Amino acid sequence: MNYRITLLITTAIMALSIAGCGAPDQSSSIESNPLGERSLAESPADAARVARLWSQSCALCHVTGVAGAPRAGNAEDWAPRLATGKALLLKHTIEGYNSMPPLGYCMSCTESDFSALIDLMAEGVAK
Amino acid sequence: MKMSRRTLLSSSVIAALYGAARPSMALASSDQPPWRNWSGALVSHPIARFSPATEAELADFFASSSGPVRPVGSGHSFSPLVPTDGHLVVLDQMTGLLKHDADALTATFAAGTRLGDMGSTLNNIGQAMLNLPDIDRQTLAGATSTGTHGTGINFKSLSGYVTQLRLITPLGEHLDITPADKDLFNAARVSVGALGVITQMTLQNRTPYRLKQTSWIMNTNEALSQFDQQAATHRHFELFPLTHSDYSIALATDETDEAVNNPPVSPEDEAAFDDAMRGWMLVPPALRKPLVNGLAEMIEPSSRVDVSHRILTNVRNNRFNEMEYSVPIAAGAECLQEVLRTIEQKRIDVVFPLEYRYVAPDDTWLSMSSGDEGHAAISIHRIATEDYRPYFDVIEPIFWKYHGRPHWGKVHSLGATELLALYPEFGRFQALREKLDPQGRMLNDHLRKLFGVKS
Repeated sequence: MNYRITLLITTAIMALSIAGCGAPDQSSSIESNPLGERSLAESPADAARVARLWSQSCALCHVTGVAGAPRAGNAEDWAPRLATGKALLLKHTIEGYNSMPPLGYCMSCTESDFSALIDLMAEGVAK
Repeated sequence: MKMSRRTLLSSSVIAALYGAARPSMALASSDQPPWRNWSGALVSHPIARFSPATEAELADFFASSSGPVRPVGSGHSFSPLVPTDGHLVVLDQMTGLLKHDADALTATFAAGTRLGDMGSTLNNIGQAMLNLPDIDRQTLAGATSTGTHGTGINFKSLSGYVTQLRLITPLGEHLDITPADKDLFNAARVSVGALGVITQMTLQNRTPYRLKQTSWIMNTNEALSQFDQQAATHRHFELFPLTHSDYSIALATDETDEAVNNPPVSPEDEAAFDDAMRGWMLVPPALRKPLVNGLAEMIEPSSRVDVSHRILTNVRNNRFNEMEYSVPIAAGAECLQEVLRTIEQKRIDVVFPLEYRYVAPDDTWLSMSSGDEGHAAISIHRIATEDYRPYFDVIEPIFWKYHGRPHWGKVHSLGATELLALYPEFGRFQALREKLDPQGRMLNDHLRKLFGVKS
């Protein structure tokens, strides 16, 4: 790396995270859910509930992988994370880790929901 | 390699650096983890979460329960608006477009809809929001009711584009609030969840449009001397002053008919920046200025074009805490310069750029720009895993000196006495709050301090 490039790169520290990565549109994940149309399932971890929580919270970042989020169903993204153990992934999800905010924007999720959501996004990835 | 603002701004290294140093926190023993805000600085243990699927359920909840209630959107507020040991009302089942008017270009969304999910939905019905805040992860009601705003001397806070909203009060009333309701309308649009729970909002929009955003480096004093002219020339104009430096990144945004050209930052560029940043963090603040100035002059201008909602909002690659005050425009430049000078003189070790922008006045009682004059909003930030208090404690009195008003969702330490002096209609809001919530169910410790209510 030449000196000029090193200098230019170093300048980045000044800007840090006033963002600007032009995230791809993630809006396709949301569907209209008129008030009065109840979809809450009784079991906290059943498929319908998990799918709704995924669509409303996780999909914001985990569809396109913005801010370094592991993309749902992407083995390359998930395999190294799964290798650290499910307990650590769950801890990071609940407490926040790097760009991942605590609770992953899911304010009503239980620990069981988060566990199911991790499983959903890592589905099909060899463990 | 071409240096651009976007590559400058996209690195995630700081998150990685500090994320590794985060203290371990014990998880709750129950299946419901503690609530935490986006930055992780706020933690609370609500007795239970309630996620209503309908407004009737929400009203029934108020009628059948007792004790404190706080609504939460995305948890993006840095001020303790949400923490409660009572019930937390989560609007994650109240999302999506409810109805729209193609002629009036208005659209009604459920209150829990995230701003980031609205752009495409609106585009599909031939509409677009007039302006957006920088971050789009907040819910519509959360962002609006905390006075969140975008950039532009001709653009009000989000609350300025609300034409109607529905509020479920702690007494279980359904209030459809329109401009005809005058006081209630002007109070409820920015009400920090103190009047009840907002369940839906109607926004005044426009037809879809594209924006071209250009960034370049400017000497900060020169930029401030031109700011009024630039703000009048461009649809949006703002500065990101670099700390320990004489320079700012300028950002101008205008409507365009040009084709979309908004490629993502390459992973190679991001990785290179990450490597460099690790070394930069070791440079003491006192030694930083000459180097930063030299480097700033080498940053090349850049531009991008996309549909409006993809230009106006950005993804934050790391988490932080933030303080933001707005001061009258006439005092904006002087206030910003004093903040920058203080950071330099006190050798505050902060590399986060500040943010400086104008916001148009509006008629909501508690908006940062409430009243007849525009305001200059100034933001300071601190990485989430660092203690923000020493930095913010030094800077906050500077904002007070210029009659600054705090952003409701960001860190500040003001209470009712100071707020009464800053907002002409604050007393009327207090009275209305007491009328709609006589038992104070919507209050937590922070709101009691804001509104001068004894425990």
